[in-house]
Amino acid sequence: MGTHQLGGVLSLLRQGLTLGVQFGTHSVEALLWVAQTVEEGVYVPHSLTRTVEGIAFTLDNPLLRVGAFTSLRLRIDGTDVAGEFVRLRRGPGTPWRTAASIGADSSYALAPGDRTEFDVVGAFGHGTEALTVRLELRSPAIPPLVWFEFTETPSEAPSAP
Amino acid sequence: MSPPSSRAATGPPVLLTSVASAAVLDGRGDLELTQEMRGTPVDWGGVFGQCVRLTGPWRLALRAGDSDGSLPMSFLSAEPFPGGWRSHHRWNGFEITQEVAAVPEVPGVVRTLRCSRADGPPLPLTVTSSFAPFLLPVLVEGIRPHNFRVDTADEEVRVRQRGFGLSVRSNVAPNELFLNQASWIGGHFRGRLDEIGFEYSMPVAPAASSELTLLVAGGLDRTLDASLSAARAVVAHPDVPAAALAAADRAWLESTPIVRFPDAPELERGYSHARAALRRLYTSPGDDLTGLLAGFPWYSAIWCRDLAWMLAAVVWLGDFDWADRSVDTVLRYQSRSALPILGGETGELPMQISPGPIFFYGTSDTTLYYPLLIERLYRHSGVRTPTDGWIQAIRRMIAWGEARTEPATGLLRNGGEAEAISTATQSLAHVRYGIDSPDTTIWDSTDRRDHAIDVQVLWWQSLGTAAALLGETRDGAAARMRDLADHLAGTIRTRYVWNSEGYLYDSFRGGVPAERVRPNALRAVSAGFFPPELARKFVQRAAKDDLTTPWGVRTLSNQDPLYDPAAYHDGQVWTIATAWAADAALASGEVELGVDYLATIAARFDREGGWASECYRGDRAEPFDSCFLLGFSIAPFLTTLFERLWGLHIDARTGHLLARPAFPASWRSASIENLRCGAGRVALEWSPERLRVRWSGPGTLTVDGGAGTVSVAPGSVSDVATVAPE
Repeated sequence: MGTHQLGGVLSLLRQGLTLGVQFGTHSVEALLWVAQTVEEGVYVPHSLTRTVEGIAFTLDNPLLRVGAFTSLRLRIDGTDVAGEFVRLRRGPGTPWRTAASIGADSSYALAPGDRTEFDVVGAFGHGTEALTVRLELRSPAIPPLVWFEFTETPSEAPSAP
Repeated sequence: MSPPSSRAATGPPVLLTSVASAAVLDGRGDLELTQEMRGTPVDWGGVFGQCVRLTGPWRLALRAGDSDGSLPMSFLSAEPFPGGWRSHHRWNGFEITQEVAAVPEVPGVVRTLRCSRADGPPLPLTVTSSFAPFLLPVLVEGIRPHNFRVDTADEEVRVRQRGFGLSVRSNVAPNELFLNQASWIGGHFRGRLDEIGFEYSMPVAPAASSELTLLVAGGLDRTLDASLSAARAVVAHPDVPAAALAAADRAWLESTPIVRFPDAPELERGYSHARAALRRLYTSPGDDLTGLLAGFPWYSAIWCRDLAWMLAAVVWLGDFDWADRSVDTVLRYQSRSALPILGGETGELPMQISPGPIFFYGTSDTTLYYPLLIERLYRHSGVRTPTDGWIQAIRRMIAWGEARTEPATGLLRNGGEAEAISTATQSLAHVRYGIDSPDTTIWDSTDRRDHAIDVQVLWWQSLGTAAALLGETRDGAAARMRDLADHLAGTIRTRYVWNSEGYLYDSFRGGVPAERVRPNALRAVSAGFFPPELARKFVQRAAKDDLTTPWGVRTLSNQDPLYDPAAYHDGQVWTIATAWAADAALASGEVELGVDYLATIAARFDREGGWASECYRGDRAEPFDSCFLLGFSIAPFLTTLFERLWGLHIDARTGHLLARPAFPASWRSASIENLRCGAGRVALEWSPERLRVRWSGPGTLTVDGGAGTVSVAPGSVSDVATVAPE
C-alpha cells in the first residue's frame, strides 16, 4: 500500500467514524448498502475476458443513469478505441451493433436492469496485466457525460469444446 | 406470466400516496406506467415505500379454464374514491372491481379484487400476481439490483436486497409461488431474481362476491417486523387505510386558505390543482424524517433544495407544523465537518435525504435557502425568538457560504462539488462512476460556474435574513453579514447589467461575463436590486419569444449557440422558470404579463389532469424527460399567487399584514379566506375601492393596504384603502 492509498483509507476511516458519531451507525450501514449495490450492480464481476480478437465484458445495468444515449466512447488504459471496433448487444441471441453506429438518430437506450455485452477488437495490454476500462455515455436529454471505470486483470475465455 | 396489455394509456397517470408510500399506475388496472425518461420509455409503475422503489410493474393475470386475461384487457372504467382508486373489469363472465390504496402505517400498497358472476355455476378464477423486485432507493435511478434473498413464512413472503426489504401478504394463501417464472416450493432462495409470482385461486359463485386482498409493503427491512400487526390489520380490513387517508386529506384541505378569483377562474382552478398536488408530495417515510418529495415518479425522495421551494408554499397554506418538522429534518443532517466522500463541507445542508438515513451533500445553493425559510416560518407563525439550535445552524450555513466567497467582490463560488466527490472516492472503489456535472446549482446539468446570478441573489438574501434573525451579536457576526450583503449587492448592481442586451449576465467565469439569456436573472429583479424602469426592461426582455413560449419559459434563449430544445437546462421549458417570470413581472409592475405567465402555468395543470410536469421541450409543448409531478412546478406558482398577485407580507410576530394586490385593471373582485397569520386566521375581500379584512385574533392585526392602514380587533371586520390598479 502506497502513502497515497494509506492516506485515502485513513481519510475514509475518519469520515466513516464522523458519520457514525454524528448521524448514527444505521446511516453508515445504509450508505454502504447503496454504495455496494451501485458498485456491484453494473459491472458483472470478472466478466472481463480475453477473446481471440481482443477483450469482452458485461454490464448488468446502465451506468447510474438511464436514457437514450447518443454516443458511447470506450477507452482502455487511457487510449480511445475506435467505435467500429466496439460491438455491443443485449445478450445472447440479440443482434450486435457497433459503438460507431450510435448517434443522434440511432441512440442506444438503457432502462434499469438492462444488460449489455461488449466485445472489443484490438490488442490490449499483455498477458496477465490489469486493464483499465472506461466507458463514457452521453445523453441528449441531460447533457453531462456519464462515465464508468474499472481496473481488472482479464481472464482467458474458456476455449471452445 | 402476464399477457401483454391490449390498450394504450389515455389519461393522466394515477398517483396514490400516503406519507410513507405510493402507487404509480397508468389507470388501466395494473400498476404499470410506461413513461418517456431521458429519451427512452421506462416503466415506472409499481410500489414505493420509504423512498425505496419496492417493485417494478405489478401485474395481475387472470385465468379461468383455458382462457388467459389481464386487468388492462378487461378494463371497463375507473374512478377515484376517497383515499384510493377503483377500476371495473369484465372478463369471461366475471365482474371484477379492483380498489388500490397507498398505506402509511406499513409503507406499501394494498390491492383488493372483488369478483362475482351474474349467473352460471360456481367457477374458479385464478389470479397470478407478479412483479420484478427493485429494492433500491429511488435516488439511484438507473440501477435495478439483480440478486435477492427470498424467504417464505406463515403469513408472508419476504424479499431482501441488502438492508432493503419487501413483504407480500394476502388474505388468501397462494397455491403456488414462482421465481423467474418457474414454480418454487418456498423456503429460502438467494440469487438472481427478475420476477416473483404468486398464484391464487378463488371460487366465484353467482350472487356472492369473492375477495382477494394483496399487500406489498417495505423499504428498510429492519422496520418491517415492527409493522407486523399493522400489516395484518390492512389485509383483514383493506378499506381502512383509504378512509383514514381521505379523512387526513380532508382535514388538511380545510385548514388551508380558500382563494377566489372571479375574474380569473383559471387561476382559481390552478390554485386548487396545485394545492392538491402539493399534498400528494407530503412525506414522513420513517427514521423520523419529515418533508415533501421532489416529484414523481423518479424524484420521489426528499431533495432539500426542492423542499425549500415547496415549504415556502406550505407556510402560505398555513401548515406551520409540517414546515417546522421539515426544516428540523434538514438541519439534523447539516454537516459538522468535511465529509468529502458525500460531497459535504462544514455547515452544508444535504442535497438529498432518504430513510436509512441515506444522505448526500454537494450542491452550491441548497444551504442558502434555509435562513430564508426559517425567517419566513417564524414570521408567519409568530415565533419571536429563534431556538438556539436553529440559530447555531444558521451561523454554520453562513460560515459555509463565507468559505466559498471571494472577498474582493462578495461573490459566492458555485460548482466543483461533483469533481470533489469524484476525487475523494477515486482510490476507494474497484469500480468507479461519475456524472461529469461541473456545476450543482438549480440548473445542474449545465455549467454556470463560477458566479451564477441567481445564486448570488440567494446568497445576498441569505446574508441579510441571517443577520436579521441573529439580531445584534456580541461577536459582530450579524454586522459582518450585513456588510458582506451590502458589498455583494453593490457587485450585483454594477457588474451584472448587460447593457447591449438590455438584460443581466448569467454568470462570471474568470472575471468574464457569461453572455447567456436565461430566466435565472429574473431572480435579481424579484429581489428588488434595480429601479422600476430598469426592472421592467429586464422583464420585457425575458418576455421576448426567444425565451418565453406559449407553454412557459425556456432555460436558455433559443438564439444561444448552446440551445438545444431537448436539453434539460439548455433549452427545455421549466415551469419553475415561468413562475420566476411571473414573480418578476408582478414585482416590477408588469401586471398583465405576470398574470399571463400564471395563466400559462394554470393551463398546464388543467391539461395534465391536475399534475404538473417538470419540464417541456423547448420547441413544442410536449413534456420531455419530465416527471409528471414536480414540487418545483407547483409551489412557486402558489407562493407567487400570495406574495405577488395578492402582494401579501405577513409578520405575525408584530401583528402586521401588508396587502398590495397587483391585480389587472379589469378585475372587480378577489378574496382569500382562512389565511393563517400566527395563531389567527384572516379573511380578505378585495374590490377596486377597498380591502375588507376579517380577523379572528388573538391580538390586533394591523393591515397596510398601500393607501392606508387599519387596526383590526379580534373578531371584527374593517376596511382599508388600497392602491387602485392602473
